[in-house]
Amino acid sequence: MKIALLGNPGVGKSLIFNQLTGLGVEVNRYPGSSVALETGNVCFRKDRIEVVDLPGIYSLDGNSEEETLVRSFLEEGGADAIIGVLDASKLERNLYLFTQVAEFSPRMIVVVNMADLAEREGLVLDTSALTRRLGVPVLLTAASEGRNIDRILPLALSSAMVPDLSVPYDHHIEAALRSLEKTLGTTRPKNLLALQGTGDDPLLLGAAEGIAREIEQRHMMSVRQIIATNRHNFSREIAETVISNRDGKKSFDLDSVLTRVFPGVPILCAILFLLLLSVFVIGSSMEEMIVQAFASGIIDPFNVAGFSPFIQKIGFSVLVAIEAGLGIAFPFVFTFYIGLSLLEDTGYMTRAAFLADRAMHRLGLHGEAIIPMVIGFGCTVPAVMSLRILKTRREQTIAAFLITMVPCSARTVVIAGIVAAFVGLAWAFSIYLLILVLIVLTAVILSRITPGEQFGMIVEMAPLRRPQGRLVLKKSWLRIKEFLFIAMPLLIITSIGLGLFQYFGLIDAFQELVAPVTVTLLGLPGYASTAILFGIFRKELAFETLAVLAGTANLGSVMSSVQLYTFAIVSVLFVPCISTIAVLYKQLGARIAILTSVYSVILGLLIGAIINLLIK
Amino acid sequence: MQSSLREDYLEAIQVFSEKNRHAPTIADLGTILGKGSPEVEADINELVARGEVAIAADNEVTLTARGRTISASVLKKHETLQCFLLEMLGMDALAASSEACTLEHTVSDETIDLLGEYLKKPRRVGRDIPRRGCEGPGCPSSCSPYSLLDFNEGDEVVVRCILGQSCAKRLLDLGVVPGEQVKIRRKLGNQSLVLLVKGCDVALSPEIAAAVSVERSL
Repeated sequence: MKIALLGNPGVGKSLIFNQLTGLGVEVNRYPGSSVALETGNVCFRKDRIEVVDLPGIYSLDGNSEEETLVRSFLEEGGADAIIGVLDASKLERNLYLFTQVAEFSPRMIVVVNMADLAEREGLVLDTSALTRRLGVPVLLTAASEGRNIDRILPLALSSAMVPDLSVPYDHHIEAALRSLEKTLGTTRPKNLLALQGTGDDPLLLGAAEGIAREIEQRHMMSVRQIIATNRHNFSREIAETVISNRDGKKSFDLDSVLTRVFPGVPILCAILFLLLLSVFVIGSSMEEMIVQAFASGIIDPFNVAGFSPFIQKIGFSVLVAIEAGLGIAFPFVFTFYIGLSLLEDTGYMTRAAFLADRAMHRLGLHGEAIIPMVIGFGCTVPAVMSLRILKTRREQTIAAFLITMVPCSARTVVIAGIVAAFVGLAWAFSIYLLILVLIVLTAVILSRITPGEQFGMIVEMAPLRRPQGRLVLKKSWLRIKEFLFIAMPLLIITSIGLGLFQYFGLIDAFQELVAPVTVTLLGLPGYASTAILFGIFRKELAFETLAVLAGTANLGSVMSSVQLYTFAIVSVLFVPCISTIAVLYKQLGARIAILTSVYSVILGLLIGAIINLLIK
Repeated sequence: MQSSLREDYLEAIQVFSEKNRHAPTIADLGTILGKGSPEVEADINELVARGEVAIAADNEVTLTARGRTISASVLKKHETLQCFLLEMLGMDALAASSEACTLEHTVSDETIDLLGEYLKKPRRVGRDIPRRGCEGPGCPSSCSPYSLLDFNEGDEVVVRCILGQSCAKRLLDLGVVPGEQVKIRRKLGNQSLVLLVKGCDVALSPEIAAAVSVERSL
């Protein structure tokens, strides 16, 4: 048996899913899509039941990856029963999606969640009336209190039904649907989609387009608007008959503080600063512990185990890769993910997007782009993956360039380890400032030269609520798993590659080759080139390699302050790490991956050379 | 009851409800249509039987979904006709309105559609009359000249139409559809705004807000 949760974003689907399945959740990619699909198993009366958490969507008509995924899931009859999750406090808006789901005639039940919130607002829901109107069993739940969650599975398994309702569309639309059905024999849902220009049957699309144009001329309104209006009006009518209003308690509206320029913007800055600071503080202390434990517990014993030099080199490379992966992943990335999940689950991220909208416009982006940018401070890999939320190719391209420049936690390690430690804290901050200026300049130029149209922000503000510790941890855990899954294999492979490189003595040849650039242009010692090269694999490796090659951890004694500063800037700007290039390639294609990499090489060398020339 | 009278009732209920934010009582309807209360009561009972109106607890007469569909169609006819008489034939506003009131009951959907079409791209006929501005849902020659950006924080407005196709989809899904009453919850100095629509807050960029054509709600 397989059941699936379907609903708008932010209706508490994940919370219900989490309570139904507990641990042991898998994240899968639906074939042909990059949307994550969580599935979990639950044992019910000795049967194994697979529960799928479909991505939150507002509509089934669109062409976004999420909408397409859910649509094909429904078309293929992907589950034995669908659990439609609605938000009791926003029933009318939520019913809009339900009217569309009903057109696919799946066997389903409806769970009206957030009953606690609705009660506080003074809304009273008549569930038996709603059951009658929708033609499927309705269950009122409050997932945050765990109320009625245990009744969801029994109800879904025993009494799921095909909804019995259909939207009364405008008579021109109905006529069009009938004529398409008659002439082409296609189904009603397919015809409805085709009238709105969605589908893959050229014959149907062609016929529908002609009819749609006729209807549009008559109504002075697009078919989409007509259909959406019909559905919304129908949903309103249902909502009005099943909901009655009592006086609810008026609670203090936090948004009156959070979404005003003052004090909203200072609060936003403070929250982001605190997030980065705590990641940095917690991260560096944890990293030290992990690295030390790993070195003394595994690497040192391995080194004295007496393998042949070749095996020794390869084994050592693998171990170092694992050590570095863990040393970055858990202290920095995981801590960051916890903070990020907290911000998301409280609903604050949407406020941040709103406040940042105008500033982001100057960068050729819009408010929602602040989310990938913030994630970029943790790690560039998931930031690139989150670029999907931006709707146009133009925005994705601009944001991809900027994200690869945002100092991720590994680059923070370089800046802290080299500049803050040996040159001074103020100089370390100056690097951040410099990067910020470069990001803004890059964005201003890119927003002028990148083709494509600008698209604004339309974001539903998630209701503010208290995050659930367990859910935050689980979300962070799933994310870190995904991160390790992508980054670890690359780390190990490249580490072995570098090990072999050293083993066959190619390092010196390489240093000779690029000496004109390193020594003449940047004014750095020859071995710095190797360190920068290693930085391509993992940024923080630049720092570690430099210490190894310089033969001392006290870098201040072998390099001047200017050299250290230049080195830090070049390695921070120089080529996003190999994992980033891999996700960029996967997400946006080879062209963008190559362009961003080449751009960062040129930028890194240019800025390094300028500093060298100016200060020397 | 004649269908024209029936439509007049439905229309009166809708217009009254939109203006006063509550539905009319039987006495209110009597005043509007110039009839005595007993007569109105009998007519309303007939409409209730047809399932077009309902009598709410506080004696207010409200439209059912069916009633609303009919009254919306009649109102559209009224406004298209009025627009035609006013703009194209150059009648004065009051005369155009009262003339539209009688014509609206007999004119066919098809005629109204064609008339709407004609108003959009008029071929000049007869006297050369300067076009006056004409607003409203029944007047397709122009959507409301105001966008969300013309209103302030706290204002309640009714969506008239959404200009441009590219951004419309998500707005439609979130309930920003023609006829929907929305409230501007927040408007920053930089014109980004938060809209309260169907009980949900939706944040919009200025360029999106500019594409949503609205009118102040009555």
